[in-house]
Amino acid sequence: MKRYLRLYLYFLQFSFSKAMEFRIDFTFRILMDIIYYAVNILLFKTLFLHTGLIGGWNEEQMMVFVSCYLLVDAINMTVFSTNMWWLPAYINKGELDYYLIRPVNPLFFLSLREFSANSFINLITAVAFFIYSLSNYTGDYNWMQLLGLLALLVNGALVYYTLHMMMIIPVFWTHSSRGFIDLFYSLGLAMERPDKIFKGWLRVVFTMIVPLTVLASFPARAFLEGFTSDVLLHITCVTVGAWGLMLFWWRRGLKNYSSASS
Amino acid sequence: MNWWRYVSAMELRKILAYRSDFWITFIGQTLIQVLIARALWQSIFEANGATEMNGFTLPMMTLYFLIVPIGSKMLMGENVGFISREIYEGTFNRYLIYPLSFFQYKTLTYLTYSAFYGVQLILIYSLYNLIQSGISGEMFLNLVTGVGVFMIAAFAYCMMAMVIELISLWADNIWSLMVMARFGASFLGGGFIPINFFPEWMQSILKFLPFQYFISFPVRTVMGLVTREEMYQGIFFLVLWAGLLMLMANLIWMKGQKKYNGVGI
Repeated sequence: MKRYLRLYLYFLQFSFSKAMEFRIDFTFRILMDIIYYAVNILLFKTLFLHTGLIGGWNEEQMMVFVSCYLLVDAINMTVFSTNMWWLPAYINKGELDYYLIRPVNPLFFLSLREFSANSFINLITAVAFFIYSLSNYTGDYNWMQLLGLLALLVNGALVYYTLHMMMIIPVFWTHSSRGFIDLFYSLGLAMERPDKIFKGWLRVVFTMIVPLTVLASFPARAFLEGFTSDVLLHITCVTVGAWGLMLFWWRRGLKNYSSASS
Repeated sequence: MNWWRYVSAMELRKILAYRSDFWITFIGQTLIQVLIARALWQSIFEANGATEMNGFTLPMMTLYFLIVPIGSKMLMGENVGFISREIYEGTFNRYLIYPLSFFQYKTLTYLTYSAFYGVQLILIYSLYNLIQSGISGEMFLNLVTGVGVFMIAAFAYCMMAMVIELISLWADNIWSLMVMARFGASFLGGGFIPINFFPEWMQSILKFLPFQYFISFPVRTVMGLVTREEMYQGIFFLVLWAGLLMLMANLIWMKGQKKYNGVGI
């Protein structure tokens, strides 16, 4: 464990110095994420010009939810996204070999090697918006609820990573990730919508099969409407299931890895 | 010389090389986006107890968000990095020795993607209408006109993308600039919410920018929501923007090619 922590510190050091090599790009990327946040906030602000409720939430509740999914997204962008971006190329080009022969768990190495320094700045922005939206929220809450929300959001970011991985792993068979990754980004929209808007079979899909609403909407709902046992049980089941399935799928993928490039 | 036929055929082969990707994108992506958008708007219509909002009924809104994802693919053609990647890798050299201009080549490959997604749009939209209410002559005429307008919009967007991509002759990495342009164009163009849901002051500013002509205008043309006068006006603005952006891209290229060293980074 200590060895892995030390290794992660080296990853951080390496990522920050690499980011500083391309300063213009570093600045552009920060700006890009800020625009992404602005568009998401403006989207709901505009919708609330025409309605008082969306998915049972009013504007201030919705802003808490928006800040929740921006936080989940920011954690992911900072910790995992660059690694997820390169992984399909490593598999396709047969470059995974270099990671498989190292005396470190390959999944750890491949998932955490690149820490996105620019997104870290945006993570701070996301945290600032999270604090702002909570300060504007007029409902009652205590510190325990707030800590509970933060824990569930961190859990949401980790589950997002497992779902993302599950969309990348098919590259071991298909040799191209574009279709599945594009599909995942489209599905990602479900994380940015309140879960209550989904009804019938679509609700089953987005809460159980591709449980993207569990990442931010469920934690926000728990915070805004109370931490009920059924919501917590649902989040626990999804977390355990997603990790188990991803690890199983990853091992199957590795068995299929041929080292040949395509 | 039928060079354009060879270039287009080669690009089409590239698109169809990974068939699983093609089918996943074709069916999955479009279906998911339209279902999520419909769920959101259904909840808004229900919360307001309304059957119509700003000229849109729920079925019209569904149709709007069926066209948007495929239309956006038409518009954004060959994807981020279609020039910059080659500049960074140093593989841009080949265009300097091709017997046709770099601009012609890149525009053609870009528009081949757009035309390909245009066929997807015709198929999906026709299928949707066939299931919903049947295909009429008027609907098909609007569809074909709309796809044509989308192609002009794709050309204008391609010119805008070239302006940004060519900045890579100076800057280290412009990927994030292209993503910003996408976000901006999608939001301000009506890709997330139809333009007439924006506040009045914002709508009047947007009239002077190209974004609504990239998405909202072609989508509304496909749906048959534009008058003849609006259509001519829209096409005029699209061509005007395309011309301006083409001029800008040319100027940047004239300046930037002196910076190109052929090595990459």
